[in-house]
Amino acid sequence: MSEKVKLEVLNPRGVVEAKQANAPAPRLTDLAGKRVGLYHNGKPGLDNFFTVFEELLKNKYPTVKTNLIRGSFEITDKDAEAWAPQIDTFVYGVGD
Amino acid sequence: MGKPGVFITCDTFADDAESASRDNAMPGVRRSIIKSSEFYKLRGDVKTIRPLVEGVFDNIIDAITTPLTLDEADTAREIKDDDGPDEITITAESFLAAIEELNQQFVEKRWSDGLPFIPPTPERVKWMLSGTTRSPHEVIGRVNPKQGIATIEKIAINAVMAGARPEYLPVIIAAMEALTDEYFDDLHILVSAGSFSLIIVVSGPIAKELNMNSGIGFLGHGWRANNTIGRAVRLATLNIGKMWPGANDMGLTGRVNPHTFYTFAENADLSPWQPYHAGRGFKAKDSTVTVATIGGASPMQNFYGGMIGTWTAEGILDNMVNDIIRTDRGLFMLWGVKGVGQYPGSGVGARNHFIILFPELAAELKNMGYDQKSLQDGVYKRTAVRYEELSPADRRGIQTGIEIGVVPAERKAVFEAALKPGGMVPVLISPENLHFFVAGGAPGCAFSFSYFRLPPYNRIAVMTRLVTGATLTRAGVIEGKNVPYGA
Repeated sequence: MSEKVKLEVLNPRGVVEAKQANAPAPRLTDLAGKRVGLYHNGKPGLDNFFTVFEELLKNKYPTVKTNLIRGSFEITDKDAEAWAPQIDTFVYGVGD
Repeated sequence: MGKPGVFITCDTFADDAESASRDNAMPGVRRSIIKSSEFYKLRGDVKTIRPLVEGVFDNIIDAITTPLTLDEADTAREIKDDDGPDEITITAESFLAAIEELNQQFVEKRWSDGLPFIPPTPERVKWMLSGTTRSPHEVIGRVNPKQGIATIEKIAINAVMAGARPEYLPVIIAAMEALTDEYFDDLHILVSAGSFSLIIVVSGPIAKELNMNSGIGFLGHGWRANNTIGRAVRLATLNIGKMWPGANDMGLTGRVNPHTFYTFAENADLSPWQPYHAGRGFKAKDSTVTVATIGGASPMQNFYGGMIGTWTAEGILDNMVNDIIRTDRGLFMLWGVKGVGQYPGSGVGARNHFIILFPELAAELKNMGYDQKSLQDGVYKRTAVRYEELSPADRRGIQTGIEIGVVPAERKAVFEAALKPGGMVPVLISPENLHFFVAGGAPGCAFSFSYFRLPPYNRIAVMTRLVTGATLTRAGVIEGKNVPYGA
């Protein structure tokens, strides 16, 4: 039986620094009377999606107040910090 | 934010969303998934999309109101992208069988580009590193989307896989320095649904020393430096940034030149002008690499020349001017859109054009009195549109663009003066949005690539870097800290 060949190579993958996981914020128990943020990147399809969603939301929870942002693809930390005090929860969607 | 949220995503982007949630250290983020096959067909108006929203509505509400599971709330865990040990051993019956096994394993692990590659053995990587004075451990930047750390050694490993030679390494490093610059938007080119691509242009004396093709067929196959420099950048971004088609690289069609990008050299021998980088703050004798994002599936506009019919420089200039007017005047109304990114005008509206001129044409243009700078100014002026030809929507777009900063402060006066009866309104923000390279042979063709003036996820998408630290060429031996330049 012939001897096996060993081929040693170096790993081409980049090292990614390990991160500690963050937990999402605790959930609400009910949406009644809450301020709901709606964020999308302003594309017409998503605008239509959120228009219908907002209508359904207000039908089911008449006391909900919505706060719609047509923002950039990525919400910046600064914009998120400014938005957070104005809302109790949020629905976020970006895309084409 | 400290607020409970839910992210809407399509099913074909579900893996991408999961990957992004890990990249951003919140793997338990709640997602509500809708079907791509429905959303993209029904999104056209509120009537057609209503059933889809009704179908997902309860799921979205549940995501906001159902308590987090222990797993979702777990903050004790570390998020790692562990790709195993630094060295990998393959055992097989023969050397050729080991190479085959290695190729198969790497492509299955998403570590290859699908073409056969050279095994990056420690000896070959050491050989590759002999092309640079720079330390293997030097960190040059991070590659999106996972922010993988790009060291000289990791770049060298991928350069070996690509089939590059050590003398190419300083050029590959310069290209990677451009891509990983803190202000360069590598995210959009590497993972966007638009399947954007790159041009990688080598200028200065090192191109000839590396035997790069800058003549007939300069975008084609058969030239080791052109093909493997581009492939090394492809593999290094794939392996260091860790993206994969359909998983977190959502380029819908893939890129037309997927394994090498568009890598070529300026034709210094036949160009009548100084190299491109001389207009960007470098010395003409320097060697540089310019990396720029370009459009996706149909990236080129042809201005002709060549052997199909006769040509004149004025005729080709007319074609170029008319093409830019035709494509870019339709964007005026979008100047009033704040942009899809953080900066006014990012990812929408006015564009950059990368125009490749064949040497005979450049010589004719020089005879007409042009150099690159005066050609920029000349084409910029000729692509302006009479105010009276603009629609009300065009005028509103430009005026809004001036007000919201899409037109930068230093260009404001130009557009305020132009935006009135009798004025000529440029379709480009600045002459510097025109980038001229001389490449090709005789006969040749003139053509261009284009892209947004500002990218969506960072500040710039054009960058030129000096080639430094070369050991095997006369050019590119400059030591010291690199000076980035991007417009």
